[in-house]
Amino acid sequence: MDMNQYLSMFIDESNDHLQSLNENMMGLEASPDDLSIVQVIFRSAHTLKGMAATMGFEDLASLTHQMENVLDLVRNGKLVMQEFIFDTLFKSLDALEAMVQDITAGGEGKADVTSIVASLQAIVRGEVPSAEGDTPSAAAPIEAETPALLDQFQFSVLEQSIQEGNQVLFIEVSLRKDCQLRAVRAYMVFELLERYGEVVKTFPPVQDIEQEKFDYSFSLYYITQKTAEEMQALIMGVSEIDKVTSLALDVESLSQLGQAAVAATAEAPASEPKRQDIPPPAPQATPATAPKEEAKKAPAKSGNAPSRTIRVDIDRLDVLMNLLSELLIDRVRLEQLASDIQSTELTETVEHMSRVSGDLQDIVMKLRMVPVDTVFNRFPRMIRDLAKSLDKKVDLIITGAETELDRTVVDEIGDPLVHLLRNALDHGVESVSDRIAAGKSETGTIHLRAFHSGNHVFIEIQDDGAGISREKVLKSAIKKGIVTAEQAAAMTDNEAHQLLFAAGFSTAEVISDISGRGVGLDVVKAKISSLGGNVTIYSTPGKGTNFSVQLPLTLSIIAAMLIRLGSEKYAIPLSSIVETGIVSRSQIRSVHGSKMVEFRGSHIPVVSLGAIFDVADYDESEEEETEIVVIRKGDKLAALTVQDFIGQNEIVIKNLGKYLPEIQGISGGTILGDGQVALIIDPNAFIK
Amino acid sequence: MAEDIKVIVFKLGTEEYGIEVDKVQTIERLMPITRVPKTYAFIKGVINLRGVVIPVIDLRGRFGLEEAEHTDQTRVIIVVVNEMEVGFIVDSANDVIDLNRESIDTPPEVVGGIKAKYLDGVAKIGEDRLLIMLNLSEVLNKNEIVQLESLEG
Repeated sequence: MDMNQYLSMFIDESNDHLQSLNENMMGLEASPDDLSIVQVIFRSAHTLKGMAATMGFEDLASLTHQMENVLDLVRNGKLVMQEFIFDTLFKSLDALEAMVQDITAGGEGKADVTSIVASLQAIVRGEVPSAEGDTPSAAAPIEAETPALLDQFQFSVLEQSIQEGNQVLFIEVSLRKDCQLRAVRAYMVFELLERYGEVVKTFPPVQDIEQEKFDYSFSLYYITQKTAEEMQALIMGVSEIDKVTSLALDVESLSQLGQAAVAATAEAPASEPKRQDIPPPAPQATPATAPKEEAKKAPAKSGNAPSRTIRVDIDRLDVLMNLLSELLIDRVRLEQLASDIQSTELTETVEHMSRVSGDLQDIVMKLRMVPVDTVFNRFPRMIRDLAKSLDKKVDLIITGAETELDRTVVDEIGDPLVHLLRNALDHGVESVSDRIAAGKSETGTIHLRAFHSGNHVFIEIQDDGAGISREKVLKSAIKKGIVTAEQAAAMTDNEAHQLLFAAGFSTAEVISDISGRGVGLDVVKAKISSLGGNVTIYSTPGKGTNFSVQLPLTLSIIAAMLIRLGSEKYAIPLSSIVETGIVSRSQIRSVHGSKMVEFRGSHIPVVSLGAIFDVADYDESEEEETEIVVIRKGDKLAALTVQDFIGQNEIVIKNLGKYLPEIQGISGGTILGDGQVALIIDPNAFIK
Repeated sequence: MAEDIKVIVFKLGTEEYGIEVDKVQTIERLMPITRVPKTYAFIKGVINLRGVVIPVIDLRGRFGLEEAEHTDQTRVIIVVVNEMEVGFIVDSANDVIDLNRESIDTPPEVVGGIKAKYLDGVAKIGEDRLLIMLNLSEVLNKNEIVQLESLEG
């Protein structure tokens, strides 16, 4: 069967399950006694195992299998969670993640997990109380302790056989690990058994064994005239058999098993106390569908059912967006036609269509929005590990994880945030002893906040650590030649703090592997700027530091001011406009050969857009008054002279195609209501 | 026996040119073009082709020919080469013909004022028609534009 078509689905779902495993493990660590969380974790692990086995990723399946064993013991109260177990499980998760990534990159998902598997097995062995029918087997410790369930009918058949003087045996057969055709070997064993008696029940079911859906061992109930020892010797005669244990049952031991069976059937399959590594004849059709059912049940149990979703290729959304913008253009035309024709019916229809297409636009925009939670959700785990390795105590408090951002922004913002968080933990939050000395609680706090404000989303990372030392920053900056001593002396605290973003700056005295490798905050700043955002630092010595990241809501639609230059129209992003106004030509003065205008008490440079873009049919020099748009880049301002303001509009950003070279002052194009293209001005190009 | 190819035939002045049909996305009537400032003279600007912004170049200008007034016959041929979508303004485009590859000859040094490197060859159709086959990747070669620029500058 061609598995490729399922591979991407497998990868997506695996990542989901790994994420949920991570989250729930964190939750469990916080409240180790909550067995409902263990249930959820168990199911995620089980589903993952099922999927991995179906796809043929053996290593992945076997590691999850071992995790499941540990979790099962915890779930049944046979094992109490402790730090060592948590660490081992987290390590297993990391290994799983690495394997899934390898698969994503086209690999086979193979990894050496023997040490993790060994420690997982050690945990299982260390705490396992011997279960009935348990025969310690190094090859398959799990299967060995699997108590097989009998239904009422089978139970009574066995009971009767004993009463009639037959031997009832519980036989467990383990194949050699290098056995190639397991189903064939199993068949040979069964053939042998049928010759001397009757097989009542097998685990896993016979169909599964025939399809090789078992690891290396299977067990069965068998009625015969021969003794346990004789059967054992006979089965060992089949080649490639590793181990056979045969146990004669009497009425008493049988009735114990029978009670277990009755108890199990009385309970719902989901909360079945017996292990499910080998699917018992519960209502689970195939391993492929069973995990899905469980996956649905699991979140419901933990009380936060996720909304139902489908996965859509982002390219399709882009196509949808393009189609929609064409529709919007036609809508404008229709509206114009309707107002020309003055037919009430037509006007009403067009108005209705306008409302519908407006709603449609909202929905399409929302489709592209994803909650920042998709980035945030991996941070708690990261902070936990980091804090451990740094020997610091810290709480990460996340607020506003439901805040939505455009998919393209969310995809890019992860790495910068990781860097800022590492920074906050490494350089911000002090060690436990320092915190106590400073009179603070020994556990530090890092707030990760996301919220909307206007057309932007802000993400803040705030620690309650030592804050930024102005002296240290300035000293380091002078040493590295970023500023001169004179410049440094004149700087405000705030200006000094922003130096952290200068290229090649790092204040860490000891370079740790957490942060401070020199490729630091300047890269973060560059990345955020490339997303059209901005990052600023606020810091109070002794109280802590706050990194505030400002991001545009979306990269594809912006609010813009449309302006006219002669017959041409241009769009200026509203985010960089400070204000608009009208000045008389006499207010524009020439200073050192460049034109300046007074604006709110200071002089700012004047840039004539008409002149820069060589607009043929517009000459502003004859005008008495001229419209200006004051734009901002950082804290610098400039005034662009234009002919007319047309108005404010939401515009869809389009690139100008690969053929055109970079054009200074133009960042892209957009399609206006009349179907024409207007160029989008890049205000940053006009301020040096 | 070489294969037959379909070729879109268009005119610049009196000369006839050909582009393989699979490189042509569509042929449009002239539509409003938004001028793009601070770029080469032969780049006329950008158009909105059903929601996609596409740069348009005047093929006469690109080949250093004298630019002509646009008429009713003027067409924009949208071609896709190396994942670049570009529109060519041509005097007219109204024919598709089948051409045998064997009938395409290596071009002489200069044909109709166009340098040989922009051409794939010259095909003779019928008795007195010559069709000049364009080498699109060379016509849209950006490195060469940079050289042009430095010459002009």
